[in-house]
Amino acid sequence: MISLSQDRGLLSHPDALHVAQQAPLVLKDAPKTISASPWASLFSAPDTADLWITYENLLLSCLRSGDDKSAIECLDRITARFGSQNERVMALTGLGKEATAKGDEQLQHILTEYQEILGENAANIPIAKRRVALLRSMGKDSEAITALGTLLDSSPTDAEGWSELADLHLSQGHYPQAIFALEEVLVLVPNAWNMHARLGEVFMMAAASSSDAQLKYRAEALKRFARSVELCDHYLRGYYGLKLVADQLQEDKIRSKPKNDPDSFTIPDQETLARLSEVAMERLADIVRRYKAGEPLWQGYDSSAIAAAADLLDKTKQTLVR
Amino acid sequence: MADIPVQTLHRDPQLFYWILIPITIVMVQTGVLRHYASVLLQTAPKKQDAPAMREQRSLGRGVALRSNYHSLSKKSFESRRDYLISAYENGDFLKEPEKKGQPPANPMSDPGAMDGMMGMMKNNMAMMIPNTLIMSWINAFFSGYVTMKLPFPLTIKFKSMLQAGVQTKDMDPRWMSSISWYFLCIFGLQFVYVFLLGNDNAASQLNQQMQAQQMPNPMMGGPGQDPDKQFKAEAENLAVVDHYSVLDDVEGRLLASLKKA
Repeated sequence: MISLSQDRGLLSHPDALHVAQQAPLVLKDAPKTISASPWASLFSAPDTADLWITYENLLLSCLRSGDDKSAIECLDRITARFGSQNERVMALTGLGKEATAKGDEQLQHILTEYQEILGENAANIPIAKRRVALLRSMGKDSEAITALGTLLDSSPTDAEGWSELADLHLSQGHYPQAIFALEEVLVLVPNAWNMHARLGEVFMMAAASSSDAQLKYRAEALKRFARSVELCDHYLRGYYGLKLVADQLQEDKIRSKPKNDPDSFTIPDQETLARLSEVAMERLADIVRRYKAGEPLWQGYDSSAIAAAADLLDKTKQTLVR
Repeated sequence: MADIPVQTLHRDPQLFYWILIPITIVMVQTGVLRHYASVLLQTAPKKQDAPAMREQRSLGRGVALRSNYHSLSKKSFESRRDYLISAYENGDFLKEPEKKGQPPANPMSDPGAMDGMMGMMKNNMAMMIPNTLIMSWINAFFSGYVTMKLPFPLTIKFKSMLQAGVQTKDMDPRWMSSISWYFLCIFGLQFVYVFLLGNDNAASQLNQQMQAQQMPNPMMGGPGQDPDKQFKAEAENLAVVDHYSVLDDVEGRLLASLKKA
């Protein structure tokens, strides 16, 4: 059973569907309105934050799975409680409209609505973020980047915004910008292991597409992956990346002698690289084995990630046999 | 030591019904009323406009960079530092760039700060007025009675507090008058309010006193502080950071920790 009282922005598709199917039941049980009178609160359900987060999660899941009726019911209840001028409610209302809009024309209309709201109050962050997301989903990536840039200029301590910017730049192939944005995320949340690994991945992609700074990028990618698994013991992506980049660097080093650049990280020697690769292999094999054996605490991995790791393991074995 | 004979007083049981219970009921009701009055009087917190938000969060960015610089490589850290220091010193992030270098406005003339003060005034008023009224009401109607005996002994010092309005020299301080029942109610009804009104009610005075004590440190960028000076100070703080990266020798640490495990 998935608890609805936590923030559930990132449910997988089957989970979201499952949640949405229960929506009518939950809506029936949960109170429709909350009375502010002290006597009523003695007898009826309390007005807790949990209840409203549940509604919000239900709304998101219902919109994803196309249950617009329940979604609108959730939205109505949220609006009745917090008023339509609340910034978060405004964003949720906008989200509902976006999801039920038919055709580009309506989306364009919603976009102008967002612009009007932002014209009145430029500090309305939820709406500004919706605008960026809508621009992106309409395929106007460069406009989305500009809009997000304005948002981040006035609110530069927003880690979510920076990571979205990194994603946008990455989708456009702007590697240095994506790296900058991800570094900005790490300044705000220095212990986010997934962000370290993500930055490592971006460095790998940048290395693959550039010709002159390959070694420099890969050296930093190695450091990032290593930091990621140092922070989180069983992070599959971290080990996967570590294995790839360590092998890659071993080959690179045979081919060319790295210059000493004071600005970039030094590449570890061959022996360390070999051991890092070996350790990453061991860990990956361990994770894959435990996942496939169905050990209860090891089922949190994404099945496609496990498949990719198993694939990598097979390939390495083949080269070893040869 | 000779036993002090236990003082017994014959009280009219009606005192209990006509003094203790009315005072308690009135106290509870004023608490509930005060809660709703302060909810009504409350002004919604003022929304920050975009330039003010930018000013505050840009400062926050510098603070974040200063405390988490270790997750960056030297080169990226230095480019960020150079940018932030020059922007801070030029006052690029200021809400009102033209006012740079001028002394901060008098908080009394700033309407934003006035709002906060009015809020505090309202709260204080909502607390003081009912208290004065009830106390004078009790003094007018119920003074001069001994209403109950506390179940625990007390020293003589409590006499003036508990037996206000009863001028009897030798009476045991355990006997208390109606006014002291009022004081007990002030402090003892908190749990009743929590039950009736929820945790963050405005009825109990203890809560408000506690809040008042936690208030003193002003918020970042709050009124009365010169943001330009804050930026300059932050620029200096950034300038003296001696960079190291957590990525230096991370693979060595990783291998060592894995070997141990």
